Amino acid sequence: MENYELLISGITLIPLVGVLVLLIWRKATKNQAATIGIISEGFALVIPLLLLSVLKRNGEIVFSFPWISNMGISFRLSLNWLSLVFLLTEVLVTLTAMIYSLGEKTGEKNSNAYYALLLLFSLGMSGTTLADDAFLFYIFWELMLIASVLLILIWGHGETRFRVALKYFIVTHLGSLMVLVCLITLFVNFGTANMTEWMLQSSSLPINTQILLILFFIIGFSVKMAIFPLHIWLPDAHTVAPMPVTIILAAAMLSMGTYGIIRFPFAIFPLENLQHFALWMMIAGLISEVYGALMALAEKDIKRIIAFSSVSQMGYILFGLGSMTLRGMEGAIMHVVYHAIVKALLFMVVGIIVTVTSERDIQKIGGLGFKYPIVCVCAAIGILGISGMPPLGIFNSEWMIFAGGFDSGVSVALTVITLVGSLFTVIYGLRFFGSIFFGKRMPESMAERAPLALTIPTLAVTIFLIIEGLLPGPLLTWAMRGLTSFIGGLR
Amino acid sequence: MSGSFEIVLPAVILMTGAFVIYLVSRILAVNNRLEAVFTVFVMAAALISLISQFVSLPGLVSKPEDYFGISGPDGIVLTYSTVGMFIMIVSLIITILITIFSGEYLSRDPRYLVYYPLILLTQAGLYGIFISNNLFNLFLLMELTTVAASALIAFRFQQEIAIKAGYKYLIMSSLGTMVMLLGIYFLFRSNGSMQLTQVLASPDRLSKVAAACFLLGFSLKAGVFPLHTWVPDVYGNAPSAISGLLAGVFSKSMLFILPVVCLRLGMTRGELGTYLMAFACFNMLIGSIRMLGVDQLRRFLSYSAIAQTGYLMFGLGIGFYYDLDQAFSASLFMFLVIAIMKCLAFLASGVYQFYYGTQDMEKLRGAGRDMPWIALCFSIGLAGLAGIPLLAGFTGKWMIFSAALATGDLFSILCLVIFLISTVIGLGGYLPVLVKQYISSAEPTLNFPSLNGKVSMWLIIPITLLSFLVISIGVFPTPWIDLVNYVMRWMSL
Repeated sequence: MENYELLISGITLIPLVGVLVLLIWRKATKNQAATIGIISEGFALVIPLLLLSVLKRNGEIVFSFPWISNMGISFRLSLNWLSLVFLLTEVLVTLTAMIYSLGEKTGEKNSNAYYALLLLFSLGMSGTTLADDAFLFYIFWELMLIASVLLILIWGHGETRFRVALKYFIVTHLGSLMVLVCLITLFVNFGTANMTEWMLQSSSLPINTQILLILFFIIGFSVKMAIFPLHIWLPDAHTVAPMPVTIILAAAMLSMGTYGIIRFPFAIFPLENLQHFALWMMIAGLISEVYGALMALAEKDIKRIIAFSSVSQMGYILFGLGSMTLRGMEGAIMHVVYHAIVKALLFMVVGIIVTVTSERDIQKIGGLGFKYPIVCVCAAIGILGISGMPPLGIFNSEWMIFAGGFDSGVSVALTVITLVGSLFTVIYGLRFFGSIFFGKRMPESMAERAPLALTIPTLAVTIFLIIEGLLPGPLLTWAMRGLTSFIGGLR
Repeated sequence: MSGSFEIVLPAVILMTGAFVIYLVSRILAVNNRLEAVFTVFVMAAALISLISQFVSLPGLVSKPEDYFGISGPDGIVLTYSTVGMFIMIVSLIITILITIFSGEYLSRDPRYLVYYPLILLTQAGLYGIFISNNLFNLFLLMELTTVAASALIAFRFQQEIAIKAGYKYLIMSSLGTMVMLLGIYFLFRSNGSMQLTQVLASPDRLSKVAAACFLLGFSLKAGVFPLHTWVPDVYGNAPSAISGLLAGVFSKSMLFILPVVCLRLGMTRGELGTYLMAFACFNMLIGSIRMLGVDQLRRFLSYSAIAQTGYLMFGLGIGFYYDLDQAFSASLFMFLVIAIMKCLAFLASGVYQFYYGTQDMEKLRGAGRDMPWIALCFSIGLAGLAGIPLLAGFTGKWMIFSAALATGDLFSILCLVIFLISTVIGLGGYLPVLVKQYISSAEPTLNFPSLNGKVSMWLIIPITLLSFLVISIGVFPTPWIDLVNYVMRWMSL
């Protein structure tokens, strides 16, 4: 085994060591716990970047050793161009949330457990993107869920957190079970849990089984993506969770559903069988897009507004995937990344607003623009970003998604409606920005200055958003390589 | 009298141990803990003799003529039973941990003297049931375990509810054994013998009726729908240690003796498989639905035990209906992990009962902060039962799931859907209980004095070992799967 193959296991193992250190060091202060958390998570960011040159040479780096040999299950991790994009997005979001967390109150008590769970949450997501064995994939998939449920349960706001966490767990677990049904069916049919081998053998399955599995996979992963009407867990979970957890949930975890759809049904089954679902995925994407935007427009709670915007944005991604064209799917992957940055930024802004005003009702907040100019600028860029304004990233990804829609040959009208539907995003974005930063200054008492510990990371993310929008080159290349290595025959 | 004494040695050790321990403890007036230690030694001796048989299984199976007892139509023939050995090894290990637990758990009960001998008798009876080839002998041993178990259930006889539970168990179980007696009568009428060393050469209608009687009797003892109604009342009110033993091991083991008897009496594998799979669906659904919202911990765990009986029946049913070895392996593995997890959950709830005097989860809200270690172990048990990955229950469910899908048949897939629904509903049951340990309600319901974490090591050690097993089997299931495959290779169901 080469050294770089061992390094991949470090992406999951080093954060795990961090978790163990935090669990043992019970008296760690918040700063100390955060330091451990950020350092160990940092490895998950540095290792893939170090391996970029090897990845360019080999196309894929695999770490594997036998685990449950009598069931054909191994501990097999694979870093490839597709997983790289999702992994980096998720790790960056977690790091941002960890740093942002230092500026607010969450986790002041039991800091060690708080950061340990944040690490576990991220570990679940990194593992999900790296796993090349279905058994391992499911374990990481569930770890992600359990860690996030515990974070909401313990550090969530209000008495409803118990009910909300339970609803979140059960609804998303239902989706997970649908995925599990598919995984075990494939495992039983192919006699191995090795996901790469599945890609080679899939055509041996009867077509009806394939269609059924594709359906289950798409529905199961759509629950995680919070596509309408499977989104019911999302608004409450995002609202009740503490802000750093909301950031990870919205910016990183939702994208795992997208990864799942690409990695399983799309990578495993032939494109002609997937085509049956193209129209339905695009319709579901369109409905989700419009519904999420309308709900964001109707909501008063600023956290819920941004939460519903996620439902809407995931609609674009599903639409892009449903187009089943190279451009549309590439756009979907890029949308995942850009949405992660924009959503993190918007939730960070909301966090600052809630901290300085102690208020979440949009009707009771106003005129903050001149009082907190930096926050106002960040929010403006975030809102312009989510509205798809060039040169900010989402413009690029939406362009590709719509182009994919037109190329798909499914229905031009559907793409036109989706394009027009994106106007709603602009409307709720402007309402959000206008009511909070302009008009009469409300509420009467608020903090003199926005806390620097929150503003600095927010500003950093804003700058990152601009840079990413201006330089989409590397991301575009990675997404393209990832897609073509997993899905053959894309136009 | 002839044959290999080794076959009955474990039962002899256990039975003799029961009487000797009672007499010695009575005469020397030993305290509860010392008696528990004696009992552990007796069970360890029986365990060693069983393990020595178990490792030499390949040699034993090659000599099927080996038996202990008197042959002939009226004789008593006791033979090696591979499944019996496996089940008894699991049962004895669990019971040793329960006995250590009882060393503290019974410290406030003046009648501890009879408790340990009764436990030994149930174990001896359970082993005897597996090695008996004479149905009348099987009936007698079944009665022995029933009476001993009833006495254990009603052990805290000063509580009216315990008496009621013991009485209910006695009545229901006796009903089961009476039906079996009826079966024996039919078999005797048909065959002129009560020996059942192999499948009947020409099963007639009467022997089929006998098979049905045994099916009914064992189903009642295992708590199969619609004969499950006694389960929550009995296990919900018995001492936690006993509920763990009976719900986790004893009633589940009935599902493994049931096929042996019924198939030899002429029931076909298809019929048996259909019965097990169809009724498994009811058990899975009813168990998981009824446990929703139940706050009395033992009652809650009893309902979940009904669902787990369903999971085992489902696994076994697939095995018989489709002749699938994979399903038998999955069932044996599931039996092992259910025994461990169920016992863990019952014992942990017993710790709450022991220190706080209640097992109502609403009143125990926030107890996890007072007893973090016990709460963690209880959580591991509950999460394992819920099928959370990396814990033993998940691997068990994965195996049953794989077996059901491997058949590719509509019937098994329909049952699998019920299995999945039951798992999801179950989550709605396990999670609130798990979480309530850590979350206090708005009103102060913590009406118990804080212990500051001072829990007796007698209670902590067994619970910790069981939790360790749940995690280790979940993370490294390979040796355990090898173990059940070893049993599979030598057993004949």
